[in-house]
Amino acid sequence: MKHVKKMKWFILSLTLILILSACSSSGGNTQSANGGQNGSSGGGIKITLLNSKSEIQPQLEEAAKAFHEANPTISLEIQPVPNGGSPFERASTLYASGNPPTMIMLDTGDVAKFKDRILDLSGEKWNADAVEHALDLTTIDGKNYAFPLAIEGYGFIYNKAVVDKAVGGNFDPSTINTTASLENLFKQIEASGKKALVVSPMDWSLGAHYFSLAYAGQDKDMTKVNAFIDDLRAGKVDLASNKVFNGLMDTFDVMTKYNIDQASPLAGTYERGPELLGKGEVGIWFMGNWAWPQISSFDTANKEYGFLPVPISNNAGDYGNQEISSAVSKRIVIDKEKSTPEQQDAAKKFLDWIVYEQQGQDFLVNKANIIPAFKNITLPAADPLGKSIQDYISRGKSEQSMSDLPADHWANVGASMQKYLAKQSDRTTLAKEIQQYWTNVKE
Amino acid sequence: MVTDKGVWSRLRLRLLFTGPTLFAFIAVMIVPFLYGIYLTFTNWDGISTTQSLVGFQNYGSVFKDAEFWKSFGLTLKYVLFTVVFINVLAFLLAYLLTKGLKGQSFFRAGFFLPNLLGGIVLGFIWQFIFNNVLVFMGQKMGIGLFSTSWLSDPNRAFWTLVIVAVWQYAGYMMVIYVAGLTGVPGDILEAASIDGANGWLKMTRMTIPLMVPSFIVCIFLSLQRGFMVYDVNLALTKGGPFKSTELVSMHVYQKAFLSRDYGVGQAEALVLFLIVAVITLLQVYFSKKMEVEA
Repeated sequence: MKHVKKMKWFILSLTLILILSACSSSGGNTQSANGGQNGSSGGGIKITLLNSKSEIQPQLEEAAKAFHEANPTISLEIQPVPNGGSPFERASTLYASGNPPTMIMLDTGDVAKFKDRILDLSGEKWNADAVEHALDLTTIDGKNYAFPLAIEGYGFIYNKAVVDKAVGGNFDPSTINTTASLENLFKQIEASGKKALVVSPMDWSLGAHYFSLAYAGQDKDMTKVNAFIDDLRAGKVDLASNKVFNGLMDTFDVMTKYNIDQASPLAGTYERGPELLGKGEVGIWFMGNWAWPQISSFDTANKEYGFLPVPISNNAGDYGNQEISSAVSKRIVIDKEKSTPEQQDAAKKFLDWIVYEQQGQDFLVNKANIIPAFKNITLPAADPLGKSIQDYISRGKSEQSMSDLPADHWANVGASMQKYLAKQSDRTTLAKEIQQYWTNVKE
Repeated sequence: MVTDKGVWSRLRLRLLFTGPTLFAFIAVMIVPFLYGIYLTFTNWDGISTTQSLVGFQNYGSVFKDAEFWKSFGLTLKYVLFTVVFINVLAFLLAYLLTKGLKGQSFFRAGFFLPNLLGGIVLGFIWQFIFNNVLVFMGQKMGIGLFSTSWLSDPNRAFWTLVIVAVWQYAGYMMVIYVAGLTGVPGDILEAASIDGANGWLKMTRMTIPLMVPSFIVCIFLSLQRGFMVYDVNLALTKGGPFKSTELVSMHVYQKAFLSRDYGVGQAEALVLFLIVAVITLLQVYFSKKMEVEA
């Protein structure tokens, strides 16, 4: 009996030790990890960046290497947001587990949510060099919390080889400034034996990009656009009688009419768009400059592509008919909760490196194909789509994209747009659904 | 030996055996569950450092969230069809494959195979089949039903979910039914044949009543999986076209993480939990009553 009792105590204490040691060893691990991050171990300062632009992950890793060579005391690690996850989701999980990265690449609309946890960056030098309006949306109570990384724009991308052939000569994009002239171009492309365009039916494209033109096109003055959004929330807007909404949907009807996927408009995928456009099977695709890497892998037009605005009326002078929608879409913020002052300084140094060092600028513009949001960077965009956007911006022909819409806007409005695209609802229903969304939305 | 010792001593012995499991269970099940219930009373958005208590407001929003009830209704429809089809098909397969057919263990393994694939992979495979393979065949052979993708039609997209679920689980349930069928004693069936019972009578009067435990398990499993399905829904239809196939788990996830309405999402999850718990408990309670002894 005694033997059994001894055995029992032995097992009991063994399990206890196991449990305790399991807990304590993980505690010890995080401590030593933090120690490494603090740089107290003499190995330099270690900082991390959560990257939510997955298409530039390899370029960012290269940039991190170059940055480390220029600043041997700092090593930068790039963590990707897992496929299909949103940066907000990933970042909030990392915060919940007490292990946030030093820098996080967020979408514009999310920055405000993190404001208690991130550093006020108003004192940084690059604030003065940022392009107009780039910091408006991340400035809260007079303090700017985020670094504007990339300008992105969208509209109708045209394949110059196809449209040149269709119009018989050198195509001039400025001739497309009304719904009628756009339809005419579609007809010409069809007459030349190609299909006019492909409408990619993803909810984010239709909801966040196409439909938000209806808000942004209300007025050139952003305060009036914001007032329009407030009215939508308050249920004071009648979309069905709104001029911009109707004009935009008229254009959409034209797009539907010439869509290559008319037979099953919802079956298309994102991957189909760049393939059809690049191979020249269609002349036009509604998308943004981020699609360049995919288009270029199918390119048959000798890299000659450009943007056309999305017309919202038949009056060429109306706002939106000659403007391309663009805005800063990705922002980098710096954590202040768990990062040490040294890490914060290192992160700031990295941001400065991007803006002011020749190597950093080269990474941003030439390697990552990003349109920078800084006036001092004079390198021209490396790809035709970026060039086209830059051209519109420099001529003052740009419209601010809506980048602080509620987080579930794209999914809900996108679903309503898909329904309309599949002809399962009409314009009255669409207007009603969107008004309903806005009166029910949180905040 | 145990009874003559004090309370502490007995507790210690029990803790020795159940302690580690209990610790894990409390840490990963009970604590998150209680914390989740607490979150339903707050207006947390998932990231802010502050949150305020809002009482039962979130539960009010659950009952006002028309989308939630719509997707719940759709889920009920989905569960009804999947439970019926999975079990009917699984039983038929099991019946055929206990008849002593040639190569029956090969067929058993074959039907069980889909269950070894993860839901996400399976969803992508079937997405390819419905979007490309069937459409290609439909167009080449002029079959109108298949010439457009099933996934882009709200009604047919629902049936793709049912088809994939049946394909995935029928084999699994079949294994349970095979075990049940082979467990029916041969002597009573033989006695029944001597008394002049035909095959149908033996099936309905002897085999099925004796197999009630297998039915309980299979219906319980398919009910619970039907209500909780998320992976196939995500990979196959993503809730589309235009949210028409968004089942309730997906809606809850979207509410919490996409709309950033953690409190309401959590409250919806709790309401869902209660409903599913009641339904499955009722099912087990009533079918237990149907059990008989040989």
